[in-house]
This record gives sequence, C-alpha cells and structure tokens, in this order.
Amino acid sequence: MKLIFAGVLALLSAASANAASIYAGQVRAAAVCSQCHGITVPSAEAPFPSLAGRDADYLQTALKQYRDKTRKSDIMNAIAGSLSDADIAHVAAYYASLKP
Amino acid sequence: MKIIKKRLPLIVLTALLPLGAQAATDDAQKFHQLFEDNCASCHGSDHGGFLAPALNSETLKGRSPTALRTIIMTGSFDTLMPPFYGRLNDDQIRGLVKHLQTTPKLPNPEWTIDDIKKSIKVYVSDESTLPAKPTYDIDNIDNVIGVAARGKYGRGEGSKAVFINSTTHKVIGEVPTGTAAHIIDYNPANPRWAYVKTDTAEIYKVDLYSMQAVRSVKTGYNGPGLGVSRDGKYIMAGSFVPHNAVILDADTLEPLKTFELEGIDPDGKQVSSDSGMVIGTPADDIFAIALENAGQVWVVDLKDGFPVTRITDVGRHLHDAFLTHGGQKLMIASYDDSIVAAIDLKERKIIKKLEAGCVPHVGGGSAVVVDGRTLGFGTNFGDCDKTVVSVWDLDKMEVVKQIPVSGGTESPAAHANAPYVAVDIISKDRRARTVQLIDKKTLEVVKTLDVGGHAYFPEYSADGKFLYVSAGYSGDEVVVYDSTSLEKVASISMESPAGIFSHGRVRYMTRGLSPDEFANAAQGAK
Repeated sequence: MKLIFAGVLALLSAASANAASIYAGQVRAAAVCSQCHGITVPSAEAPFPSLAGRDADYLQTALKQYRDKTRKSDIMNAIAGSLSDADIAHVAAYYASLKP
Repeated sequence: MKIIKKRLPLIVLTALLPLGAQAATDDAQKFHQLFEDNCASCHGSDHGGFLAPALNSETLKGRSPTALRTIIMTGSFDTLMPPFYGRLNDDQIRGLVKHLQTTPKLPNPEWTIDDIKKSIKVYVSDESTLPAKPTYDIDNIDNVIGVAARGKYGRGEGSKAVFINSTTHKVIGEVPTGTAAHIIDYNPANPRWAYVKTDTAEIYKVDLYSMQAVRSVKTGYNGPGLGVSRDGKYIMAGSFVPHNAVILDADTLEPLKTFELEGIDPDGKQVSSDSGMVIGTPADDIFAIALENAGQVWVVDLKDGFPVTRITDVGRHLHDAFLTHGGQKLMIASYDDSIVAAIDLKERKIIKKLEAGCVPHVGGGSAVVVDGRTLGFGTNFGDCDKTVVSVWDLDKMEVVKQIPVSGGTESPAAHANAPYVAVDIISKDRRARTVQLIDKKTLEVVKTLDVGGHAYFPEYSADGKFLYVSAGYSGDEVVVYDSTSLEKVASISMESPAGIFSHGRVRYMTRGLSPDEFANAAQGAK
C-alpha cells in the first residue's frame, strides 16, 4: 500500500514537473528562440531550422554543445551561452511537445 | 503593429537637402538598394519610418554601430523586426549600418498619376472566365474572414492574404502579396471582390470566388489608407509616402484623380500631410479621408471632378476612425490631443470632441447596442499612467465610462450576438500575449485570454459565434475561441498574422452594430 502510494506520488510529481517545464520552456522559447525558429514553423524565408516536434534529448545535447562551443556557430554560441541547464531542459521539452 | 510615424517637418528637410546629394557613390546606391529590398517596407523608403522607427543620420546619431549590427542580426524581441542573420552577410550588415548612419531623411519621392497608371498589372484579363459562384463550400460569403499575414520578413513567401471559412476554421484560399498584407476591404455591392493593400501600397483586386488576384496597382510607397464606396464603383487609397491620395475605378484599378494632402493644421501652420484613414459610408456617395498632420478630414463627393469639403481643426495627428448612426457620423482618433472627434458627415462639421484615453487608436472601432443605448468602444496605446478603454454613448455623444485594462490597446471587437467586447493588450512585455474581454452590460473586464505571440486585432465571425485573434510577431498562428465559453476551438498556422477582417463588415459597417440597423439607416439616408 505504501509502495503504491509512493508510486502515485512519484508519478504526480513527475507529471507536474513535466508540465511546469513545458510552461517555463514556452516562456523562454518565446523570448529567446522563436524570433528565429518560430514556434511551430520558422519563416518560409528564414535560413533557420524548425524545432517543433524534435527529440528533446537531441535538442538538449545540441544546445549544450553550442553553449560550450564544441559545436560552432557564432550566433548560436552567443544565444545558448545565455541559457542555464534548467532553461535548456525546459526549452527542449517545450519544442519536443509541439506538433510541427 | 502600432504605426509610429510621427509628424515630420518634411518641407523643411526637403529644402535643406542639396540637389544631387544622393547621387553619391556606387556603394551608396548598392546599400540604398539593400535597404529598399529588406528594410524600406517597414522603415520607409524615405528613411522616415512607417510601422518601424525612422533610420537616418539624425535618428541614429550616437548609436553604437555594434549594437545596431546586433539588432539587425538577431531581430528585436517583442517587435516585428526579424533576424537578418543568414539572410544578409556580415559585410552587408556592416555596410548597411554605416549607410544608415550617414544618410539623411530623403525628400518625399514622387509617385504621380502616371506612375500609378503604369503600375497596373493584369493577372486575369477576361473576368468573364471566372467562376459564377465560390469554388469551395460556403453557406454565406459573409462567413469569409481575411487575415493579413505579414510574413516574418514583411515580404516573400510568407506575405499573403489568407482567407478562412469562419464556420469551419479551415483555410479556403491564399493570395500572395509580395510584401506584407496590411488592410483587407470588401466590395459592399459585389460580394466577390476583396481589395488587399500591402505595406508598400500595392492594392490587389481579389476574386473571392476563385481565390486569386485579378489585378494590382501601386498607389504610392506606403500608407495603410484604403476605402471602398457604397456603390462598389470606387476605391480611395492614401499614402504616407508620398503625401497624396488617389481615387481608383474599383473595377479596372485605373486612377481617376489624385489629391495632394496639405492644409493648415490646428496650430495655424501650412503642412504637407500623411494620409490617415480613408472610409466609404453606406449613408452617402462620399469618401472621408483624414489628413494626419494637417488635422483635417476631407469629404470627397463621388461626382464630376470629385470636389472636396475640408473640415479643419479636427485634432492634432489624426489616425483612424469608425462610423456610427447609419454611417452619418464618423468618430476619428487624434493621437496628440487624446480625443476622439465626432464628425457629422452630412452637415460636414465637428459635433463634439470626446475624451479618449492616452493616444487613442480605435482600430476598426466597435459600437454595440446595449439596453437601448449605442455604445462605442475606444482603444488607445495608453502611453501614460492610465490604461483604459473608453466607452461612449454615441447617441448623446458623451463618455459613459473609462474601463481600466491591463495595458495599452490597439483594436476592439464587438458583435451584436457576442457577450463580450475584446481588446488586445499591446504593452511590450508578457501582457502583449493577452486579450481582455469586457462584459457589454457591466462594462468591466471579466476575463483575460493568454493567446500567445503578440496577440492583436481581435475580430468576430459574421455570426458572432467565434472570436479570431492573431498571435502575431514571433507567434505564427491565428487562434479561434468560442465567443461565449471562451474555449479555444481552433488554430490556423501562418507567418506573423496581423489584421483580421470579416466579410461581415460590409453588413455591420462597424463591428458590433446590427445589420438591420445598417440597412434601415442606409434606406433612410437615400
């Protein structure tokens, strides 16, 4: 019984942590990413890749590589440099949750 | 999409500029072309500003070139300014910054009746080949809603007029416009025609039955003014650059007469003026046009020679307006006086000036009958401490209430069948994502919707059942709500959507009025 209760608690907190991160990610994405990458799609005229529906782990890895400059892009190195680990997790969860 | 162009001492600047000062080097010409191709539709071909700030040696004096380069590369958050990284290379961006910081505001370029005539393009030469009825399923053409999709860069593939069936929320047609679509107006006499005006002052005549442009004309360099006469025979368009307006044949788009916009402003100065709103009315065969800087409203009779009656001293820096009382009364916003002036279009005189919050921008305006009173709702940029929406009794012409809202506002929407008046909050922070709903009866804000993007230009479907809102700027969708439950029912993807225009407007005249009242009023006026 205790185990089940703990299990439910864990599920609940995982769900709410997840929901919170998507919301936080939405706010951060609106301020930092969507100017270039759009929300569901980037501009037809823009040279930037679409992020909606991309794998969350891939997005996190890419952002961290940009941040520590193991992956080079003058603009992304600067932008990712302003993001914390939590920001990166939130933004990746948000974009992964969208339908492209 | 606040139109921020302020009064410009154009005549003075023109006089100061030595002839040939612009015939500089090849480099200057190259960067001028780059400016024209990427920046001018928002910042003005004359470097004098339009939707976006003026960029010239005066306005950019002392600004850090590095900071300017950064803005061009990344765009500016919470504005329409897109990122040019990847579109322009580093040399081009550096060169542009230098060019802008050394170029004075240019003289008002000419765009004459001959230029207008020569600019006409015909896409469908034989209109008798067009289908006799809509080629898509729709019960009533008034259910068409048009959205001005700006496109992220204000030009290119994303720039188009998108037409939606407002009962199914499905796109029924898209008409590419080259540069950002700004205004969509409908022909009140023939339901098949729509007119789409772009930021660079082209007007497309659009066949709504086959969803394609049949003709276009370039009426100037920029300026949003566009109106259609009640008989559907004439269009009038007004420009910021140059300072003129033109009446066109609504069928062929041939220019019939141009008007130089100049006059004596309320402070006694003779000024050359931007064109503000242009409007046709169901009450009479006239156009009314606002001269922004001259503070005048001109009434143009649609008869031989198109004679003009000038109504002077209306206000300082006029902008937009809406009609009431069967189209006999015009409520026009004056930015700098923070009033809305009521004008009797029959008598051609000012009735009264009403308090209207700070820097009133009425958008398309809204008026709705509540318990026997016709109430007008006025939005305003709210560039002061007090952010309110003004409510006026349009029969008595007096202020009923100033309703506190959470920020500056740009456009109200009302409908006879919808319980709430929607206003878009445009203050530049998280509030810009929201739309507030005012209860028609209690005149209080009852709900805030988090739409996303920079939410603006609310519009009700013709039947009043749905509320459409653009999630613009970096947002890339139009969001649809049930107008009573305020539940989100649909989302339509497009690039940087802005103004939303229901075909129902041809029956309501002003959003919120009943079509019956409109019909009776038009009847009575004959």
